[in-house]
Amino acid sequence: MILHFVERVLQTILVLLVISFVAFMLISTLGDPLGVLLPPDATIAERNALIARLNLDQPLLQRFWSFVMGILQGDFGLSYRTQQDVGAMIAERLPATVELAFVSLLITIVLAIPAGILCGVKPKTLVSRAIMLVSIAGITLPNFVIGILLIAVFSVHLGWFPSFGRGTVVELGNWTTGLLTVSGWQAIILPAFTLASFQMTFVIRMLRTQLMEVGHSEHIRFARARGLSETRVWFVYAIRNALLPTVTMLGLQLGNIIAFSVVTESVFAWPGLGSLFLQSVQSADIPVIAIYLIFVGAVYMLINLAVELSYPLIDPRLKRRSA
Amino acid sequence: MMEQPLLSVRHLSIGLSRQGTQLPVLNDVSFDVAPGEVLGVVGESGAGKSVAGAAIIDLLVPPLRRTAGEIALRGDRLDLMSPRQMHRVRGKRVGFIFQDPMTSLNPVLSIGKQLKDTMRTHLRLGSSELHGRALDWVTRVGLPNPERILKAAPHELSGGQRQRIVIALALCAEPEIVIADEPTTALDVSVQAQMLDLMRLLHKETGTAMVLITHDLGVVAKMADRVAVFYAGRLIEIASTRALFQSPRHPYTAGLIGATPAPDGQGGMQVVAIPGAMPGVDALPPGCAFHPRCPRAQADCRTVVPPLVVLGTGEAACLHPLPERTAA
Repeated sequence: MILHFVERVLQTILVLLVISFVAFMLISTLGDPLGVLLPPDATIAERNALIARLNLDQPLLQRFWSFVMGILQGDFGLSYRTQQDVGAMIAERLPATVELAFVSLLITIVLAIPAGILCGVKPKTLVSRAIMLVSIAGITLPNFVIGILLIAVFSVHLGWFPSFGRGTVVELGNWTTGLLTVSGWQAIILPAFTLASFQMTFVIRMLRTQLMEVGHSEHIRFARARGLSETRVWFVYAIRNALLPTVTMLGLQLGNIIAFSVVTESVFAWPGLGSLFLQSVQSADIPVIAIYLIFVGAVYMLINLAVELSYPLIDPRLKRRSA
Repeated sequence: MMEQPLLSVRHLSIGLSRQGTQLPVLNDVSFDVAPGEVLGVVGESGAGKSVAGAAIIDLLVPPLRRTAGEIALRGDRLDLMSPRQMHRVRGKRVGFIFQDPMTSLNPVLSIGKQLKDTMRTHLRLGSSELHGRALDWVTRVGLPNPERILKAAPHELSGGQRQRIVIALALCAEPEIVIADEPTTALDVSVQAQMLDLMRLLHKETGTAMVLITHDLGVVAKMADRVAVFYAGRLIEIASTRALFQSPRHPYTAGLIGATPAPDGQGGMQVVAIPGAMPGVDALPPGCAFHPRCPRAQADCRTVVPPLVVLGTGEAACLHPLPERTAA
């Protein structure tokens, strides 16, 4: 178990190093940082100072080394566009995206898991069929179409929710949160639902298929033969078996949400990492793009790691003997 | 007839719906089980013995369906019960031992949880009492270190150990009758013998009646008081174990006994196979289903379905039964 843990952590570190190298190559080969960062009337001394600060006078591998070391110490480099520290820019945008991802995961869990259970336990009822039909829309309609439709109905037509922004935010140290105000919650509902629509569909279908399969297994028949109530059979004996693939999915999807909230954020003008990324792409702000890449990679890997390490809690067969 | 039967099955028929038509899987089967009795049910795969067992506690999986028949347990009609009432019969009054210990335990729940859940459903017990009983059952089915077993997940146990747990699960609510569906088929031969010894021991201790479904005549000879022989969805012979083995009246029963390896007295084994194969439910011949393979078949066997009639101490469904053989 411990050996397995160490192995997986090392794998994660290795992959992150590879991603960092790709990102670093982006920074070091695309564009001319001196031309972008220095004013046209810069002196030679200013120029040399910037070269030394950016380590441009050193060999490639050594620059990569100091790049990685810098990241580890919280120095993410300078934005070409704003000349701000990239770390600070990301830190400023991070809360909005994390809260968006969190609320959309919450919506998924609260809506999709019960719906999936219903569709798996009673696949033939009218409600189940309706859920399955509607859930097809979640897969087939692109995110931005759903977002725009929601805005059209709930913001423009009904006027229940704002169509853009985070509402009123509250500062908690370095973290700005919209989850403590009514207007913040109103603002987050539509984008979070839009972001959740795709994974809700997946969770519903996954749970349904898994439950229908588990429902036909011998151990469920045996549980019935012992007189256990239908409620217990489904909600304790069957669910536990259907949960493992669903949790895997949800974990992977959480990575996806953070990584690819770009579209949703731009539809709702959500001031998060996704819209920062879009702005950076538009102005060829390579350092921000590169750091965003590394950041998304790291989040993805860490969530995967956490999901995998949580398996033994759900399925005892995956516990490795520690002896 | 003997005393008031514990379980009484009358005219049980089971159909398999396929594309709007009903294929008869089991046809008009009647039998009784007396309190404390072990009834062996034998037949080839597909003869209908397992579905008959499942039908008793309404555990048939669609498209299989009971189409006719009455099932009574101490006079209570199981076939008329609502699903809610049936839940109180399953496990509590009728235990069911499943065939394959590898698939019949829930893989993600501990043994203790599965055992305690079953007892909690049927018995009013406090949690410490539950735990004590669970430990007790693990010990009774012959497993060492019960505390450890209760915490274990099924995959941590061997096939034989798991089957012992399956038996404990079936018996832990102290049912009046146990239906064991091929309880030894999926096990190694050496483990099979242990399992039979255990079942015989528990049967003696609890006095629970048992329907033992198997294709293995050896198992039946060891365990059963009476034997019912199924062929192609019909009950074709039922008699006490001793009478059946000594003097089978139906040619199929005789063939089945002849097909069991027996020492020939010269250091070898003798097996006489029945020619042909049992017809499937979708290709039943008219008349007696066994006639194409029967050495005694005559013209009327091809047209008349033989009813079950009393012959000597047992009953057989054959127009031209074998003569009774008395012990020489």
